[in-house]
Amino acid sequence: MAVITENISVAENIRLMRVSGLKKGGCGQFYMIKPAETTDPLLGRPISLHDYDEISGVASFLYAVVGKGTRALSRLQSGMELTVHGPYGNGFKVFDSDAVLIGGGIGIAPLFMLAKDIGRRYPQKRVTAYLGFSSEPFMVDAFRDVCDDVFVNVGGYVTDDVDFSLDAVYYACGPTPMMKTAASKTNGARLYVSLENKMACGAGACLGCTCQTIAGNKRVCKDGPVFLSEEVFFDGR
Amino acid sequence: MGANPLEIKLFGKTLKNPIIAASGTFGFGDCFNASFDPHVLGGICSKGLTLYGSSGNGGTRLQETPSGLLNSIGLENPGIESFVAHEYAIMRQCNDFVVVNLGGHCESDYVEGAKLLNEVDIDALELNISCPNVKNGGMAYGISPNDAAYITKAIKKVSRHPLIVKLSPNAPDVSAVAAACQDSGADAVSLVNTYLGMAVDIYKRKPVFERIYAGLSGPAIMPMALRLVHETAKRVSIPVIGLGGISSFEDAVAFMMVGADAVQIGTAIFADPTSIPKIIDNLNNFCASQGLKNISEIKGII
Repeated sequence: MAVITENISVAENIRLMRVSGLKKGGCGQFYMIKPAETTDPLLGRPISLHDYDEISGVASFLYAVVGKGTRALSRLQSGMELTVHGPYGNGFKVFDSDAVLIGGGIGIAPLFMLAKDIGRRYPQKRVTAYLGFSSEPFMVDAFRDVCDDVFVNVGGYVTDDVDFSLDAVYYACGPTPMMKTAASKTNGARLYVSLENKMACGAGACLGCTCQTIAGNKRVCKDGPVFLSEEVFFDGR
Repeated sequence: MGANPLEIKLFGKTLKNPIIAASGTFGFGDCFNASFDPHVLGGICSKGLTLYGSSGNGGTRLQETPSGLLNSIGLENPGIESFVAHEYAIMRQCNDFVVVNLGGHCESDYVEGAKLLNEVDIDALELNISCPNVKNGGMAYGISPNDAAYITKAIKKVSRHPLIVKLSPNAPDVSAVAAACQDSGADAVSLVNTYLGMAVDIYKRKPVFERIYAGLSGPAIMPMALRLVHETAKRVSIPVIGLGGISSFEDAVAFMMVGADAVQIGTAIFADPTSIPKIIDNLNNFCASQGLKNISEIKGII
């Protein structure tokens, strides 16, 4: 049974929720989450894993309050039950190389667990994070704890700051224009992007979240949400 | 061991319970393996297949509404040849009762598709004349009794499988369409597919969906679906498979009490995949508490 252990505000319309009782997921994976015992909202909202504490088994979700589903989540308090299924999707692959993380707004959420994972598995590798925010930054200190370098951009284009000439694997999560700009600047470096779409099931059944790729239609939920940028941003897409 | 109170017969085959996963909500049977074993279901139905396959509709495909879901997927599917070669085997591994949902854009699509499906040992063919999300064909055959009768006869002529015709609630007289299908040789009817609905993006000042109208499913439509199943079950003698917003065992029992032989569950799987095993457990408990030797004792009592 999924139970909220904490649900706090970390910035305007940005909240951090901790949940016990979930199956363990990997970085870049997501869960379908909604309040229990209601049909309105009807469906879980796909929310990516921000962190997972191996010892306590508590999962953390950093989420933006954007519509009915996330607003309903924002009103819940610790001790309350959720309906959750997952983890779903192909998350971030981690490599024995330096890494550059590019996050925009709430897109920084899954990059935190990615930075932690890289640091744990390849502690000698450098992890650099570029975090962009339209107004109030959030979770920056947490990123400083798990990255070698953290650069913050407020109100501008975070992709203007990124050094794309490094011998590193690049990862981006954020607004589509930000990820497309990153893709156009990589100069042949490998860039993984985490996509988002409306989803009903999260498990590959409903085909509501289909995206176009060089290999035809793919499901963001099951074939993604993480794709190589050249698979999904092509022909000016 | 006592007899299974949920066991039912359909087309001479035994289903371990009357719960079937609805078309378009269960992929090809294996999507929700992490949440529950698909073998617990009485049967599973494939995503709607079309002869040549389809990449589906562009633009937004989903919009949640109060206790409902509008979809405009547009029958995205790999095509029947691919199904015969690949997905059929996956479905067969997931359940003993496999239904294939067949869509189409014109008569020859349906007929050629049905012929190709003679190559696999499916347990029933569900003829989809009620999809609101494709241009041409789709729901067109499901609106008038004459058109439904025509396509039903055409498929019966070429298919070796038991035929379920899936009906649209958007027909002016749904039970008349059901009766026409029965008279044309249908072995069962399933109802209802989605209700036509619409959503507007008020900031873009445009419809949410590229095709403007979309199909509404979920608990919001359950009372309306229940009424149509009640009316239809009174009018036909072939089996009636009820669906439309079922999300609890109480809903499933209500559909059976108004005349459904079996039920399909769809959108509720999206909301919570574990609702399937929960509904089956609760149906078992209901039979025990109500002193039913078999669930079919309540069929059509209303």
